[in-house]
Amino acid sequence: MASSAAAPSRSEVLSLFRSLLRTARDFSDYNIREYVRRRTIDAFRENKSLEKVSSIVAAYSEGRNQLQVAKRQSVVYSMYAPSIKSVMEVKGSSGSN
Amino acid sequence: MAMKAAVLRHIRLSAAPTRTLGLASPASCRWGGVLGSVFRSLSSHGDDHLSKDEVVDRVLSVVKSFPKVDPSSVTPDVHFQKDLGLDSLDNVEIVMALEEEFKLEIPDLEADKIDSTRLAIEYIYNHPMAG
Repeated sequence: MASSAAAPSRSEVLSLFRSLLRTARDFSDYNIREYVRRRTIDAFRENKSLEKVSSIVAAYSEGRNQLQVAKRQSVVYSMYAPSIKSVMEVKGSSGSN
Repeated sequence: MAMKAAVLRHIRLSAAPTRTLGLASPASCRWGGVLGSVFRSLSSHGDDHLSKDEVVDRVLSVVKSFPKVDPSSVTPDVHFQKDLGLDSLDNVEIVMALEEEFKLEIPDLEADKIDSTRLAIEYIYNHPMAG
């Protein structure tokens, strides 16, 4: 167990942020896609002003674990993607009737 | 960034090898505009590339629709963090939104450099695959 791991650099953190958002796009399910986006943005914002190196390291490795989970899940979900799209994705529907 | 766009553009051309003269010099890294439009008119793909106006309009509308942005302060030469008061996370989000609008995959190295509407417009306009 690393007791004095170095804090991730700013660009590593932004790269993790970007990877999570990209992985979100791979989900065909609207709800999961939006959730991953929302959760990523909320979590990074919440941890934006962490000062202690150990907290930063912990948050970063938590983020990396979540990225792995999301990547695996996007593969699994794509195997069983439903053919019907969510109503939120139907463009330009008249909404009448 | 401009080098890659230049090389890609060169591959699309069917003729005019002499046009590669300016490309080797690193000083010519900001060669959008004039030369770019000359290249594009010689392209074998005809007229399927986006016009500068269309790129500007769509980039600005993406930036304006970002919830934290005040639409009235968005111009084609505005800096995301310095002028619009956004932070680096917002910057990443905006670049992702631009990727989705223009159906592009912008590599991390280039995405990190896009920090203003001017650079976004320049990058997208020079990208051969912008749609």
